Amino acid sequence: MLGGNTRGKVLGSMSSPKTLLRVESLVKHFPVGGLFGPGDHVRAVDGVSLSLLRGQTLALVGESGSGKTTLGRCIVRLIEPTSGRVSFDGVDILALRGTDMRALRRRMQIVFQDPAGSLNPRMTVGTAVREPLEVHRIARGKDAHARVNKLFREVGLDPSLTTRYPHELSGGQKQRVGIARALSIQPEFIVLDEPVSALDVSVQAQVINLLVDLQKARDLTYLFIAHDLAVVRHIADRIAVMYLGKIVETADVIPLYDRPLHPYTVSLLSAVPVPDPRAQRKRVPLRGEVPSSRHPPPGCPFHTRCPHTRKDERCSTEVPKLQEVEPGRWAACHYAETPMTLGRGA
Amino acid sequence: MTALLRVRNLSTSFATESGLARAVDDVSFDLEQGETLGLVGESGCGKTVTALSILRLIAEPPGQYGEESRIEYEGVNLLELSARDLREIRGAQIAMIFQEPMSSLNPVLTVGSQIVEAIRAHGSESRREATERAVELLTLVGIPEPGRQINDYPHQMSGGMQQRVMIAMALSCRPKILIADEPTTALDVTIQAQILDLLMDLKVRFGMSVLFITHDLGVLAGIADRVAVMYGGKIVEEGEVHAIFERPAHPYTQGLLRAVPHIDRPTAQLRGIPGAVPTATEWPSGCRFHPRCSQRIDRCSTETPPDITTETEHIARCWVATPAGKS
Repeated sequence: MLGGNTRGKVLGSMSSPKTLLRVESLVKHFPVGGLFGPGDHVRAVDGVSLSLLRGQTLALVGESGSGKTTLGRCIVRLIEPTSGRVSFDGVDILALRGTDMRALRRRMQIVFQDPAGSLNPRMTVGTAVREPLEVHRIARGKDAHARVNKLFREVGLDPSLTTRYPHELSGGQKQRVGIARALSIQPEFIVLDEPVSALDVSVQAQVINLLVDLQKARDLTYLFIAHDLAVVRHIADRIAVMYLGKIVETADVIPLYDRPLHPYTVSLLSAVPVPDPRAQRKRVPLRGEVPSSRHPPPGCPFHTRCPHTRKDERCSTEVPKLQEVEPGRWAACHYAETPMTLGRGA
Repeated sequence: MTALLRVRNLSTSFATESGLARAVDDVSFDLEQGETLGLVGESGCGKTVTALSILRLIAEPPGQYGEESRIEYEGVNLLELSARDLREIRGAQIAMIFQEPMSSLNPVLTVGSQIVEAIRAHGSESRREATERAVELLTLVGIPEPGRQINDYPHQMSGGMQQRVMIAMALSCRPKILIADEPTTALDVTIQAQILDLLMDLKVRFGMSVLFITHDLGVLAGIADRVAVMYGGKIVEEGEVHAIFERPAHPYTQGLLRAVPHIDRPTAQLRGIPGAVPTATEWPSGCRFHPRCSQRIDRCSTETPPDITTETEHIARCWVATPAGKS
């Protein structure tokens, strides 16, 4: 039903729980400036390692500038990483060239936040879904037509809409087209980059439910990139929290929301508005703003805003490693073993 | 007690290529002294046009106010004021902040000079006095180094800091009413929390009334005293915040609350509302929510629903809502 229970989902599928995607020490630095002097770098992704089991949903959460979108794009090689390794089903994808990479691309897809911006305004939405089938030589002619109609029905769209142009559809319908297009070549893995952020709440829930249903029906693996922690709780099995290009905490969804270990996760969760006037929680306010990723602070990148009472010298000098604090729970904080508590007010 | 602001039968329409768009259609509400009224709804429901109409910020044409429309502030109908008299109220008595601070700030002027301009537009301060006041205002809204940042240009600031500048500018003439149109929607969640805390603190310190426009029920639950839910250019349900969230009587409000993901209630199945939000050139007949409503009866598609006063003393405009004393 909901994406909360990893074990049930993995055992329920045909394949054994195994790693589909493994990212090791991934780095992406963008050069900036340098026109009149020595250049500088934005450290968008700064040494990220993660793995994702087949059939699971890993949510990558963080605020703007945390590097989550860049990481997602590096993983499907829409952007070339500066260094690191990405292996997909055991294959080192950064080493692949030409036809090999193209063959692998069929197995991974991406869905973007802005459904209007990712569809060609002069192409009917039916053609948009049909195009990948022809590019990858999966189907053509009548066969392709039949497949497109089937895909439309699968994502909850009437096949009569195939002849429409993007501007004739609502935001929710366009995002369904984006999903149908991604599904057309039967990928195993989909990067969903803020797929519901641009949608109205009544429509957002429809699309979240659709993604959950499709995952079950097709045994899909998702990397779900989002800033909305309430949305993520409804779809993810596992969460990785990013701050300034690094993962600061990763855990299964239930323990992470119930008892976050990293002070950034504690503050982030406490800042999420709750749609219930009686359940207003005590916030753990964060002072200041996210520092620039051109000049991240020394030591722990979060120490300039950290509300943890145990913060000390060490935090501003020594970079905390992402380490396993409890089985399956990793945090990059010197004091992760004595976490802050999430206060709950009246 | 009389309301500070009374909006009566407000209708705002636009001439478009696809016909007349009745963006706001016969909307009435009061804003009381010192309260925060939340106006909530999805895209295209008319909440922003309502806000802009209050300050007559809708260009005429293509916009047009209905003949019955009245915006009463301290007994005066703002829709009948001369441009000069309106300027005395706009900014000075009723101020407004928007979702995108960057598009409201002038990119080629320092933030300080923009605040000084706002102060001097309504007062008689000298440039030096106004500059001192601008620094005070920037301190008040939590700009870390106001004396230095007064000389910054908007692009040198983060979105959160820009919004603080907008708030400083809005407060420069000590308005009685602040209209905030999605002021935190473009911000990250930790910065959103800071700005909401700031707004609520300033509201109390300045004794302002706030009309807060948002699509986010979570934000509203934390700050509003009363809530008005808009759909299809009309207010469909209105009342005290607890009544609306705990005993919603309109099927649209009920649907919205079921569709919002709760961070505290992961086990609740999300339920979307089927279909999409309608557009202002083609509102459905009868109750505008009827094509998406699971509780509709025959008359919903033909007759405009009446005001039903519910058990929790709030108003729902719906044929199937249960009136007080009949449950």
